[in-house]
Parts: sequence; structure tokens; C-alpha cells
Amino acid sequence: MSLPEVDVCIIGSGAGGAPMALELGRAGFKVVVLEKGRHYQPQDFIHDEILNSRRNFFMPLPWEEPHLVRHGAQSRYERSNVAWTANCVGGGTVHMSGFFYRLKPVDFRLRSTLGAVSGSTLADWPISYEELAPFYDKAEAELGVSGEAVPHPFAEPRSGPYPLPPLDVHPVASEIDKACKAMGWHSLPTARGIISRPYRGRAPCSYCSLCGSYGCETGAKSGTNASLIPAALATGNVDLRPGCMARSVEVDKQGRAKSVIYLDENGVVQEQPAKVVVVSCTAVESARLLLNSTSGRFPRGLANGSGLVGKNLLFSSFGESYATFRVSKQGEARPWLKDPAPFVNRSVQDFYLLPDSRFGFRKGGTLGFMWAHPNPIHAAVELAGDGKSALFGKALKDKMREYRDSRILQFEVYAEWLPTSGTYVSVSEDTKDKYGIPVAAITVERHPMDFAATRFLVERGEEVLLRLDPDDVRRKGVMGETTILQHGTCRFGNDAAASVLDKHCRAHEVPNLYVVDGSFMPTGGSVPSTLTIAANSFRVAHHLVRAMKG
Amino acid sequence: MPRAHSPRSRLSRRSFIQRLSFFGGGVVLLGSACKRSEEKAKAPPADPGPLGATVNGQALRTFSAFEYAAVAAACERILPRDEDAGALDADVPVYIDRILQTPALETIRDDFLSGVAALERRSQRMFQKGFSALTPEQQDELLALFRDSPPKSGEAHFFELLTVMTLEGYLGDPSYGGNKGKVGWKLMGFGAVGTVAMAPPEGHDGPKCLRECGLHHGGAHK
Repeated sequence: MSLPEVDVCIIGSGAGGAPMALELGRAGFKVVVLEKGRHYQPQDFIHDEILNSRRNFFMPLPWEEPHLVRHGAQSRYERSNVAWTANCVGGGTVHMSGFFYRLKPVDFRLRSTLGAVSGSTLADWPISYEELAPFYDKAEAELGVSGEAVPHPFAEPRSGPYPLPPLDVHPVASEIDKACKAMGWHSLPTARGIISRPYRGRAPCSYCSLCGSYGCETGAKSGTNASLIPAALATGNVDLRPGCMARSVEVDKQGRAKSVIYLDENGVVQEQPAKVVVVSCTAVESARLLLNSTSGRFPRGLANGSGLVGKNLLFSSFGESYATFRVSKQGEARPWLKDPAPFVNRSVQDFYLLPDSRFGFRKGGTLGFMWAHPNPIHAAVELAGDGKSALFGKALKDKMREYRDSRILQFEVYAEWLPTSGTYVSVSEDTKDKYGIPVAAITVERHPMDFAATRFLVERGEEVLLRLDPDDVRRKGVMGETTILQHGTCRFGNDAAASVLDKHCRAHEVPNLYVVDGSFMPTGGSVPSTLTIAANSFRVAHHLVRAMKG
Repeated sequence: MPRAHSPRSRLSRRSFIQRLSFFGGGVVLLGSACKRSEEKAKAPPADPGPLGATVNGQALRTFSAFEYAAVAAACERILPRDEDAGALDADVPVYIDRILQTPALETIRDDFLSGVAALERRSQRMFQKGFSALTPEQQDELLALFRDSPPKSGEAHFFELLTVMTLEGYLGDPSYGGNKGKVGWKLMGFGAVGTVAMAPPEGHDGPKCLRECGLHHGGAHK
């Protein structure tokens, strides 16, 4: 059954899909948004760890909708739920922490800056920071971002202040400021996609402390579910369909996208014809959708004549350490330990790009400081440990009592993930999800430089923590990957033989097909990329509205 | 062609506990070795006998009275009562009994029940008594034996499931049946550092929200 044709069909309602829906709806085009997940309302967001963090409220179950993941092409795939972001209206922006950094000018020309890097498929972007900057301004204003720009060696140029003043921070932030200053580094306020004041009819943050991993019950977190989607629906031109899983994008005889086949919330197959199709399901899932959209014209998957769809997958390189302060020992001397304020909001970017490669790398990244997440089950499972060293009984309860007496300050590293030919998405012919659709298979083969950079950053972060004189500093790891930050599977570029999308994120091979999640990014930058994805989507929408209006 | 070999063993714990940044809270679904339900070896379930009731008269949904006694004893060894509340004080076994009724956790339920049966068998073999009749020292010895079994063995898997589910029952929202009187949160200090709106509102029903929140049944299209 085919539904009436619309101007634009957008698949996905997160950081990429929502700006398109809003701008196209505002411009008067008829838009359908297909979202595979549910449409949660603020009252559905409850501080219930089991609900939010330990079941399929946000993430699909790995035995129903697995990703296959392997490290190296010689290993076996494991079924996993890694590399999913939230499946619901708003996507990953619903349960994000909302660290809203911008990329820096160097991120747009990393290949030119570093030269050829052996073992990496590094490429420059076809646009500059200056071309994206106005759309960063727009994304910050539309979503609602709180922050304060301060000068530092890697500060990206801005046209003005943030739309909202910074959130209140915990007193430990000024301790971090002092520690950094003593070392000649710059402690920067971290901009957040959380509103600090009433903004466009939304209530400000209530400082509840359960932010990342949770939906925001007050709507202060600037997920697209709280900001762009309601505005898009208010245009009257946008038809949002939750519970609708896209199966393929179909093409006509000329090789133009003509419709999206999807399973509706009752499991019935529907066909939605559209003049333009916009794909925005995350870098992994968008690649999967295109690779599953085979036809006589595109036997290897839609827009994949080049064979590049799914290639050059990027996550973010991750490391972290924890500093523990015992309140009973230190509380007297440091009364601020008992302050309940949830936000630290401090970053260090002094090592974003090193002047030479004496440490084995040049492109470093960002350190973000925060209090450890207060989820008690998660914390207790960590305390219990696993394998033969797992604790139970009194030993476990003693650890839990120690935890009660602790405040745990940590940092996270967001370091460059160099693109390699060994890290990519393909689809599995043998493994299908509960809808009967072949699942995404992810192969990861990391560049050794990533680890050198991440380790270096972890060591710098520990220097800051140690200056605060905690009872204990514990390194969690330097070889992690943040798989909710996804990019690169449909690189944009000017050369159709070396990229999937053109500079407007339109497929080189399919003139009415756009991809606007993180897939377009040839390099991921060394910050969380949510704001960049939204800004780019506003940029693409600006272009598309003009193109469609002729 | 990408192919997942032996889904049960391939879906390792690592897949679940891999750190996803920003999910400071951890996206950690239950336990290890979760297989796809359609691929599991369907051994005919042993007749558990009639479902029982707890000492407080709560009707059981998953366990027989016999199984429940073993589960209760095992949970209490994971988190024994001392100067702070133990697993039984928090109604942890009630939590486990109820949560194992979640349809999506069917495979976990099967694994858990097999684990309880294995614990009983081992207890009979070693001590000629049911697990719940052992001394606490004997119970600890047996649990440590399960813990120290080879990493992918059923015994090690059960120990991990038992630990994780005991902690969920001790520290989860009380609407799931455990954490009675919020004793778990008191022990961990959850809420002590929080400000407003830390705990869920009175009357919150987690299991119901998991089933129904955000669903809009009916025609999606005009």
C-alpha cells in the first residue's frame, strides 16, 4: 500500500533529522518523519535506574536487534547493543549529557594540518569552520545552549556569547581552575545543551543530578524532543510517526529516490513516497539502511556505486580516571565536598593539537571533568567486580559503605579517532533483527596513534586530579571507545570517487537523497559531536529549502 | 559474510559492560550470555511444583516455595544483614521473583532457574542438604565455588546473575518489589548528595512504564 506523496520523508528524529524537519516545515513543505522508537513525554522520564539504564526503555535488546561487533577482520562477531543510541523521538539527544562543544577550525583541515598519516584514511572536510559557524550560532539558539566563551589557545571564533548564561557549578570547579592555572593550562567552562534560564517557553534546569542516561522531566535538557520537534510539529507541516522502522529506500528507473518502505507501529509494511528522502538514523544505522536498499540500479546498496557507504566509520577515543575523596576524612577541611551541586562543567583543551609529534601523535583532544554518575546499581555492580575477584557478603557491603562516604570526581577524554580502512559497517546476510532486516555488522581496527593520544590526555587529566589531593586516583582505561558518538560512514567531499555525499550532504549518485546524521564527517573532531551534527543539519536544510524553492 | 558464531557464548559480558560515555549510569542490561530466545535449546522445564509464597505471604510468580528458599538464602549471602539492612530486609528475592516475569527477560529466567537447580544439586552432593538448610559458612563456600568456576561456565554465569540481580533488587526503584523502605539507597547514600527530584515520585510503577510509556496504539496515519 502506498501512501500519498509528500515533499520530504526524513528517517530519524535526533540531532540530524530534527533540524531538517523544523526548517522544511517552516518553509511550508510537507514533511513526514519516521522514527523507529516511541514518543516519550516528559512525564515518562522518571528517576528509575532500572527503567532508564538497565532495560530496553532507550536501547533495543541485543537478542532482538543486535549489532554485530568485532575487533579486527580476523575476529568473530559478537552480538551486542553497543553503537545504539536511544531509540525514541529525539534519538540520542534525549539521554545525552549535552556537552555542546563546537569543532575547531583545525578539525576541518586535519589532513592538510597533519599531512599523510600512515595507516589512516584521513581527509579534509569540503567546508571550512567559517562556513559552518553561522549554523552553530543557529543550532545553539534553536536548541538552547548555556555557556561562557573564554579566551584560550584553541578557542574557536564565535560571533557572540552563548544564548544562555552558564549553569551553576559545584565549588570544585574553582579548585580545578586553580590547579590548571598553576600548571599554565586553561580551565574552560563546558557549554551544555541544558537551559540555565527560562527559554522559549521551556523551564530551566532543576539541578536534579540525573542527567546523562536519563530523559529530562522538566524539558530543560535541549534534546530535539524538547526543542526542535515540538517547534516542527507547531508548523502544522510535519507528520511525526513514532514506532515506524524504515526497511529500505526505493529508487525509480532514473535512479532517484522515490519512497521509503517501512514497518509501521502495528508491523504493517507501508510505502511513503517523497520528492526528497533524508536519512538520519546514526552513522551505523544509516549505513545499514543504505546497504540494505539494494536495487538493479544499486546492487551494492543505495548511493554505493563507489563502495564507500559504511567505510571510514569513526567513534570517539575514550579514556577516564577517577579521584575519590573520603568525606569523613576531608569534609572538615573541604566543606565543599558536601555541596550537592551536580555540575562541574570544566574542560581542558590545551592539548587539542600538539606542535610536534614527540609524544607519538599530534592531534590530541579534550578533557571534560564531572562528578561520577550517581546511578547506585551501576556503581554497586562496579564495586562488586567480576570473575574470581568478585566480592560478595560483608566485603561488598563494606565497599558500598565506603562509596557512601565518597565523592568521586572524574574526567572523560574525547580524543581523535583517526579513520582507518579497517573500521567500517557492513550488513549481515545471516543475522536479522526482530523485523527480519539484516543487522549492521561493525568491524573496528584502531590506529595506534589514537591510543598514544588518549593515554597522554589521561595522564594530563590525572595531573589535575592529583593536584586536588584526593584520597585515591584510579585509572579506568586509555583504550576505550565512545560508540554513541558516531561518524564517517557516508563521508562528504568534492570528489565523487572518494566520498559518498557532496558538500551539501546530498548523495553524489542520488540527487534527491540526503544524509544528515554524523555519517557525513570525514573526521570526528576531538569533542562530542552532537552540536556539530545539529549545526550541519541546519546548514543542509538552508541549502535544501533554497534548492526546493528554486 | 558477517556471521555471529554461537550467539550464546558470543554475546559476552563485555558486550554489555562496555563503557558508553555519557551513559555515566551505564547501559548495562542484565548479565551475560544472553541468547536469542528463538535459538535457545528448549530443555523441557522441570516441574517446579506449586508456586509458593514468601514468609510475608506475598504470592510468588516465578519460583516454587522450594526454589524461593534457596534464592532467598543466596541473596542474603550476597548482601547479608549486619549493622545495615540485608537482602531479605530489602525484599530482594521478591524483586527477582517478579522481574523474571518480564517477557523480554525470558532467557535470563531460564538461566537463573537452571542456576538455582545447579546450586541445589551441588549442595546436596557436598553437604547432603538443600542450600537453604546450610550454615552461612557452607553457603559462602558454595557460592565462592560457583564464582570461581571457569568464566563461561553456567556456574560462573549464575553467580554473576545472582549478584547483579541482588544489587538491582537492593538498589532499584521500590516499585519493582525490592529496596523496601529504600534501605539500599540509605546504604549507598543515594539521595544524600542529591537535590530536588532525586527519587521517583510516589506511585511510580517502573514495570508498567517499561511496558507502556511512550506507546501510542492505533492508526499512525491519516
